[in-house]
Amino acid sequence: MARTSRQDFEALVRRAGVTLSEAQLATIHEGWSYVEPMLDRIRTHGRDRAAEPAHVFRPEIYVTETK
Amino acid sequence: MHTPTIAEAAALIAARKISPVELTQTCLDRIAALNDTLHAFIVVTPERALEQARAAEVRMMKGEGRGRLDGIPIAHKDIYQTRGIATTAHSKMLKGWVPETDAVTVRSLAEAGTVMLGKLATHEFAFGGPSFDLPWPPARNPWNPDHFTSGSSSGTGAAVAAGLILGGTGSDTGGSIRGPAALCGIAGIKPTYGLCPRTGILPLAYSLDHAGPMAWTVEDCALLLQDMAGFDPSDPGSIDRPVPDFTARLGQSVKGLRIGVPRHWHETDSPVADSVQKGIDDALAIWQAQGAEIVEVVLPSLFEYQAANFVILTSEAWALHEPFMRTRFNDYGELLRDRMIMGSLMSSADYVQALRRRRELCQLTAAATRDIDILVTAGAPSEAPRIDDMPKWTNLKNPGFTNPFNITGWPAMCVCSGYGAGGLPVAIQIAAKPFQEPLLFQVADAFEKATPHRARRPELATAPASVSKGLADAGLSLSPADMAGVAEVARELAAGAAAMRDRLGYAQEPAAAFHLPMGG
Repeated sequence: MARTSRQDFEALVRRAGVTLSEAQLATIHEGWSYVEPMLDRIRTHGRDRAAEPAHVFRPEIYVTETK
Repeated sequence: MHTPTIAEAAALIAARKISPVELTQTCLDRIAALNDTLHAFIVVTPERALEQARAAEVRMMKGEGRGRLDGIPIAHKDIYQTRGIATTAHSKMLKGWVPETDAVTVRSLAEAGTVMLGKLATHEFAFGGPSFDLPWPPARNPWNPDHFTSGSSSGTGAAVAAGLILGGTGSDTGGSIRGPAALCGIAGIKPTYGLCPRTGILPLAYSLDHAGPMAWTVEDCALLLQDMAGFDPSDPGSIDRPVPDFTARLGQSVKGLRIGVPRHWHETDSPVADSVQKGIDDALAIWQAQGAEIVEVVLPSLFEYQAANFVILTSEAWALHEPFMRTRFNDYGELLRDRMIMGSLMSSADYVQALRRRRELCQLTAAATRDIDILVTAGAPSEAPRIDDMPKWTNLKNPGFTNPFNITGWPAMCVCSGYGAGGLPVAIQIAAKPFQEPLLFQVADAFEKATPHRARRPELATAPASVSKGLADAGLSLSPADMAGVAEVARELAAGAAAMRDRLGYAQEPAAAFHLPMGG
């Protein structure tokens, strides 16, 4: 069972701008219960504030591209 | 004609023992006989294929062959754009769309002389499947059509295994080349991130998408990759570096190599079937006997890679599909839409945290393998399950063995390592450090050549191509299981008939003769 309540889950879906049937809400809410532990894994690592993401912006690529 | 590998076919064509037209026609005949059962192809393009085959034949006759792929029948996953041929992503959303340009890799393989037979089934937009609510049915496993192919490069896996094509293209965002390679008993490589151009391939998640080849053998994958790899200035992930000879190390000894085994992945994080474990053990024993050193390594849990992969994948995929999801949600298949919407329910902070976690995972993986040349684990946890027994959230519950190498961008490939209790193939997965594809092919090839697994094809594929057509002409419609049974019997009948034919002399008369005068 998802940690996020059905009411809160419906709010998330409304924010996404998608209209779902009751049956769709129920099955996707069930699926969300498997996503929540994944979010816990990426959110809680006590990482350094300065730890950068894997994706970096490299401005020289775009200079090369426009040559 | 038995199905040759690409390397074998290239040698036969070069020696003029087989013509590209003959080879192409054989594949087209097989497609005509088996595609109604396997659903590997969404569209077949026979006229174009035979035209390309005739052109290849003319080049051969003039001594102007373009190399080992010239005249080789292949096909493309239907997210690869093909000029003048519909590209659907197996989705109602794109039904009828005909691109005006080829994907860069489609063009490079065509320039190498390959013969394109058509477009191959995929999970919808390379994500949701197996789906039964799309305009085309899902591909089925040639080893048993009641079973799943894995995905998303499902049509390529089925078509290669059944000998409908000699090789094909796939894409891999979380395991979509390696999964079908594993469950269909073929070879498939996800190369280093940035090695193969992605321009013209419909994206799923930009920072995780890889293009790559699938074929019957490791060597064939190396041959296909040779013409797929290269710098693509219009692909921001593309790497500008010389393309090595991917076949250069094939056949070389693995002596002295250090092969790392993250046992906790396949023994604890996601325990595998006995047959899969046996494949891993066999591979380690083979390499050890050849002089490699086997080393146990400890890496982050599979769950860690899965979490980062899923959050990044669904976030990027949602951003791509959001305008259509909001207005045409129910025009997507159920599996795709119910999985992809998860990306809309996360926050922007979740996406950035997943990217930060990705960097940590890359660093941890590199640190733990500093003295290792190769990693080995499972390709999939078991042989293929039934296609009608796929719980909706399986992919979320169980971490995949393939995700770590989408996160790190390392090259990884699956090769057949035997057969399970149900008679379907199982696979090991072998990975190397970035841009070490020649080493990866060397080690995978050493295993493949030391095992008998490449001598066995699905029985469906070895049946005479005329069986399905004959049944259809007779007005009979059989279930996939019945079809497989009939094909098996037909294959034995054909073998028996051929043996009798070989024993008979030219002038030997039948037992029953026309005899005059008539009685009565």
